[in-house]
Amino acid sequence: MRSAVTLAVAYLLLILQSTVLELAPMRMATPSLGLLVVLHVGLSSKWTISSAAVVAFVTGYLFDLVSGAPQGVHAFVFVLMAVCARLLTTRVAVQGIVLGAATSFVASLLASALVVIVRAQVAPEGGYGGLRQAPVEALLTGIVGPLVLGLFRRIDGKVDSARSRVGLQRGPRAFGDPVRR
Amino acid sequence: MTASKRLREAAVVGGTLLAAIIALRMSAKNPGEMSALDRGILRLVSPAQSAMSFVARGITGVAGRYMELTHVRAENETLVRENKKLRTELIEMRRLAEESGRYQRLLGLRDVTPAETIAARVIAVDASPYFRVARVEIDHGEGTVRRGMPVLTPEGVVGRINRVAGGSSDVMLLVDPRSAIDVLVPRTGGRGILRGKSGENGYRCSIEYLARGEPAREGDAVVTSGLGGAFPRNLAVGHVTKVIPGAVGLYQDVEVTPDVDFGRLADVLVVVAPPPAPDPEAGSHHQPARGLMVYR
Repeated sequence: MRSAVTLAVAYLLLILQSTVLELAPMRMATPSLGLLVVLHVGLSSKWTISSAAVVAFVTGYLFDLVSGAPQGVHAFVFVLMAVCARLLTTRVAVQGIVLGAATSFVASLLASALVVIVRAQVAPEGGYGGLRQAPVEALLTGIVGPLVLGLFRRIDGKVDSARSRVGLQRGPRAFGDPVRR
Repeated sequence: MTASKRLREAAVVGGTLLAAIIALRMSAKNPGEMSALDRGILRLVSPAQSAMSFVARGITGVAGRYMELTHVRAENETLVRENKKLRTELIEMRRLAEESGRYQRLLGLRDVTPAETIAARVIAVDASPYFRVARVEIDHGEGTVRRGMPVLTPEGVVGRINRVAGGSSDVMLLVDPRSAIDVLVPRTGGRGILRGKSGENGYRCSIEYLARGEPAREGDAVVTSGLGGAFPRNLAVGHVTKVIPGAVGLYQDVEVTPDVDFGRLADVLVVVAPPPAPDPEAGSHHQPARGLMVYR
């Protein structure tokens, strides 16, 4: 249920990214909304790594289709980013606006670098260019990151409430998750 | 987390990575090719993209039009302000042109009037409905203007000075019931005394003592006779607008409408010195004043 809702929202965000933001005045870069979905599922302890990887893969694949990128580029990178995010949660509790923004910013930079590297493998003629936009994209992702992460936390909370009402709450409770009594 | 569960988790993660790599390899091999699944997904995505794009373009279009409208509004406000300014200037120019025309006509009258005159500006007319009086302002030093002096415009006789107070004077208009001017109907040669009619809404006069033997007709011109010495001879006064029939006695009952529009009085001439005496050696008994208002 949670995966389906998350993927539906991810789908909307990707459509939004591919259309609305392309029409925005600043066309040189757009925040990577798909990456924020992946970051959320990777960072949240409510998601198992396997479900996070699946959501990341689907989101990435969808983004490949929507953006016209070679199939698999974003799917691969997003799965890697989900794994990285999960590894990060073992060291740092990503909470609050500042940390959320900083994580989004760094993750965007890293994802951009990975995309360029993977693209260079798949389509060598493209080379390693295009990273000039990465800082701006990362900045924009950092700005909208806390908002999108907050949105997904709320969605997770709604879905969890429904599950807990029928006694189906599961998954490990992590630092920062609300304590249920 | 049990080992088997960990293994399963790792397998799923590895599987997704593998799936991504397979997709990568396939797209690297056949860059333009799309699987049936991809095409299906795109069929689902495209309408949503199209709808979202339509909405986005609508919003940006509205926003763009709003920006344009804002620009147009600002431009419109500038043009309206400019238009108002130009209209004000135009009105001022027209007023100046009209004033200039009045001065020119006044100067023309001054040139042809065989008497010494000074110009005066009308500052009030008919302050009281019971007394037909205009107030004029004269920049000519005190003592120059005295009671009884005639006041003229290019259209005709206005009246005479009734009261002098500093730089301004009251002019008793010829339509005031107290006014009395010796006039002549040139067509018949009949003479009479022009008096203002009291209680009239408009500006009307009547001629008293106009002999019945010299019958006036509607449209007849009325001019000053020059008798009494105050008004020069032959200055236009007005026209006969009504001859009341059936009146008995020695005199006719005649109504006269002045040639001067007292409602639009602006600048006038005050005759400060009577015309010079006629030269007996010139062969003419009297040299009439000539000008726009002079009856011929």
